[in-house]
Amino acid sequence: MTRQGWQTGLVLVAATALAAALPLALGTYSLGVALDLMMWIALAESWAMFSGLSGYVSLGHAVFYGVGAYVTVLLWQVLPLWFSVPLGGLTAAALALLLGWPCLRVRGPYFVILTLGISEFIKYAVISTEAALGRNGRLLIGTPSLTVLFEAMLALAVLSMAVLQIVRSARLGAGLLAIREDEVAAEAVGINATAVKLSAFAMSAFIPGMVGGLMILRSTYFEPMQAFSPTTSFTIVTVAILGGSDTVAGPLLGSLFLVLLSELLWTRAPEVYMIILGVLLVAFVLFVPEGLVGRAGRFLRAPKPGPSSRDHRAVVIEP
Amino acid sequence: MTLLRLEDVGKSYGGVAALRGLSFAVGPGEIVGLMGANGAGKTTAFSLIAGTQRPSEGRIWFDGKRIDGKPAYAVARLGIARTFQIVRPFAGLTVIDNLVIAALYGRLRERSRGAAEARAREILAEVGLAADATRPAETLTLAGRKRLEVARAVAAGPRLLLLDEVLAGLTASEVAEALDMIRALHRRRRLTLVVIEHVMRALTQLCQRIIVLHHGAKIAEGSPAEVVVDQRVIDAYLGTRKL
Repeated sequence: MTRQGWQTGLVLVAATALAAALPLALGTYSLGVALDLMMWIALAESWAMFSGLSGYVSLGHAVFYGVGAYVTVLLWQVLPLWFSVPLGGLTAAALALLLGWPCLRVRGPYFVILTLGISEFIKYAVISTEAALGRNGRLLIGTPSLTVLFEAMLALAVLSMAVLQIVRSARLGAGLLAIREDEVAAEAVGINATAVKLSAFAMSAFIPGMVGGLMILRSTYFEPMQAFSPTTSFTIVTVAILGGSDTVAGPLLGSLFLVLLSELLWTRAPEVYMIILGVLLVAFVLFVPEGLVGRAGRFLRAPKPGPSSRDHRAVVIEP
Repeated sequence: MTLLRLEDVGKSYGGVAALRGLSFAVGPGEIVGLMGANGAGKTTAFSLIAGTQRPSEGRIWFDGKRIDGKPAYAVARLGIARTFQIVRPFAGLTVIDNLVIAALYGRLRERSRGAAEARAREILAEVGLAADATRPAETLTLAGRKRLEVARAVAAGPRLLLLDEVLAGLTASEVAEALDMIRALHRRRRLTLVVIEHVMRALTQLCQRIIVLHHGAKIAEGSPAEVVVDQRVIDAYLGTRKL
């Protein structure tokens, strides 16, 4: 590892240790906000690992979140949480393999609409199943404390960042970038595009499945409309647009920006905060399409003429 | 000894035959040209060999293994690389990353990024793109992109390289330079080449043997000297005089 790599690693370890100590310093409300922040980081980093690198923009990641939550709820007080939450993640990954097989044959807007449609289909399938079982929501009593949930979510956020960083520098990441650029050319140099896309799609569903499991323990009430809400998918994409979607820093910055801004607007201007967020999102798409990280990178590179100014690898995803 | 062999290969789209009963063989180290007017079936033949498309009929053998019907990635891993008539670089990535990806996934499947980069730099130097390694591929000129297309294919570690009109659109001096580059790669990398080209002079300078296609069928095969005086080739290219 390079010296810069070690320095970055040390900063991240220190930041994680500091974040792990937050429950000692924060009250319940602030810790709840911090938990939300960790949740969006974990979801957006996982999404970026597939969609950011491959260019296949998934608008259906809410289904993985919802399935993880549902598995955790179904196994509540049947299996210990350290088993049922990861099982929720595995179920989400298995579902991604199943859905990816037909969905990953189309790309561009077709893939976007298909993932959204299937996510909604599964939501209504769960609603019908619950109705057939005579269930109108499930209450979870005796869930872990906010501190425990925060620490677990922090671990998932860190894990999701590590996974994205490892995949980016591994053979899989190179394959995904090639697929994003030109799938026919990618196959011509030996990339099994179907296998690469499927494995990355399944990997990117695993952590959101566990996040769903933890968040349902936080809300203590399972209601399919909420657990499978497409708003989750929209927000993940929003975070990626704000921060940038093919680096680890992008979803991290995007999550920080969105959560803190939402909290600020929600407390100061509750009537119009969604409108302001919407306008902001449109402004980002129009004026900062490369996201905060891409813009910062461009700004930092700009004053240096010569070969170094061309020295960039990361490129922006066209959603 | 034969490296590539096509037996009665055909491809139809609906009722239209793009290629009919094509048979030929290529030995290791040979440079063979595929010639023909637009729509003669040259690129279709490449797509069938490289696995981009499946043949409707016939068999294709590479190094003793049957490859017709195999997907493109599997054919590439066996050691066949191709370039595309309309270049398809990984435009948003750097020049060197284009090659690193091919080295990681191609026949050689380099174990690490470091090894792949070393191989990529070696090839970039051979094709004259060393100074452009960290440039985004989309910023290269057409001649640069054509070189990159060849370099990426070579980075995959092929034994057989299919070059589809890599000289098209280049100036006379660029064509001469590109021919030198192809000859050097052929010699140093011990490649077998099948070349599609419209630049007749280049084809006759480069190839030991030329196969001529017309309306999806082979009409002639032989040395450049034999082919250019073949009456069927003259008729196909120039038409017959009506008295």
